[in-house]
Amino acid sequence: MPLWIQILPGSDEPIYVQVTEQISEAIARGQLTSGDKLPAVRKLASELVINPNTVARAYSRLEQAGLVTTKTGSGTFVSDPKLRRSDAADINMLAERMDTLITRGLNLGMGEQDLRRLFESRLTKFSNKSNKRKEEK
Amino acid sequence: MSEIVLETKALTKYYGDSLAVDHLDLKIPRGCICGFVGRNGAGKTTAIKLMLGLLQPTAGSSRLLGCDSSRLPPAIRQRIGYVTEGHRLFRWMSIAGLEKFQRAFFPNQWDDKFFADMIEYFDLPKKKKIKHLSNGQRAQVSLALALAPNPELLIMDDPTLGLDAAIRRQFLEGMIGLIMREGRTVLFSSHILGDVERVSERIVVIDKGVLRAYCSLEQFQEAVRKVIFTFADSVPNEVNIDGLLHCKRTEKQLELTLVGIDDEQIAEWARSVRAENYDIVKMNLEDQFIEFTAPANQKRLFKWEER
Repeated sequence: MPLWIQILPGSDEPIYVQVTEQISEAIARGQLTSGDKLPAVRKLASELVINPNTVARAYSRLEQAGLVTTKTGSGTFVSDPKLRRSDAADINMLAERMDTLITRGLNLGMGEQDLRRLFESRLTKFSNKSNKRKEEK
Repeated sequence: MSEIVLETKALTKYYGDSLAVDHLDLKIPRGCICGFVGRNGAGKTTAIKLMLGLLQPTAGSSRLLGCDSSRLPPAIRQRIGYVTEGHRLFRWMSIAGLEKFQRAFFPNQWDDKFFADMIEYFDLPKKKKIKHLSNGQRAQVSLALALAPNPELLIMDDPTLGLDAAIRRQFLEGMIGLIMREGRTVLFSSHILGDVERVSERIVVIDKGVLRAYCSLEQFQEAVRKVIFTFADSVPNEVNIDGLLHCKRTEKQLELTLVGIDDEQIAEWARSVRAENYDIVKMNLEDQFIEFTAPANQKRLFKWEER
């Protein structure tokens, strides 16, 4: 698996959040798909030159979010999207984040059409890869 | 909680009238990398020398691996690695000569292959004398000498001072590599907070010889935050809130840097002063450290309980 994770010390995001978000994004984009194995904690810690506990914390956040599952003795794997569930609270949180972005867009003077187009174009970047992923199966 | 490998109790050191370390209480458990930070002259080097028994405390005590620091027997010393500030090594010795000399102190555990591999990895000529090496090369030798005996406890005093990014990274790799082995503990001081952030699980912050914070890095990063309160008409004259580090006011806004205050307390305070709204702003470690140790805050003490 290519090492796409980039660590930025000195950022306002703690390093475990950086690792969590970059792996989440790789899953969303389809660079990592259901059943893929994540690198072992110690291996990733050595490669990124970060504390192994930081990697372990990131993996446990991903597990809490239902994105990966850890099988004792064999490692951490990307979970099946069908088994991921989003509850009302998750959707609510997503809606609030969208509100923030829409507010910013409107304040920048963008119109409704501009925002829709922008959303569509960003979404394509993710869905291209995840569609390809489905076609392969 | 796991075994404590380094413990200080009210450790205090005066140089004449000047107080360098003031009642330092620390307990470092086995198996972590602990970053030791503080401004210049905060007392880090003195604290480290006291821990290693290289200086006698004026009061208080310190224990390493269960033994009093002022009477560490050779059997305990062999389990401890120490890297001095500035990597002071015998200048007239060659790398090979220095290895032979150092190996004698660690008769049972010196890893010849590890040392040879590191020297090769660093591309250093073994026959070259220390005095003919650059600062960076001397630091590399010092790192190899510190890691070759596979120390249980490694204490490094500002090991990356003045080193380039590549050699600094080698030190971080060395620490991560050591900690991967069972039961190894590292305490290192540094002014480069990006390095501390990368490898540390815990941090110790001292200022003017006084312990200011000792907790997990994550707790520290979560604890120090900036909150910007906006008011409809005017900003309150008096700001009375726990954990206040820094206060900046404009006509309609109040910018507070707070420590150890949770979201609920912030919301409650905002209600009590009738703020129109507020925004919690994340800070990076360097900004957190600067505000935490700013002169105005020197009397405040924050310690977090073990989670």
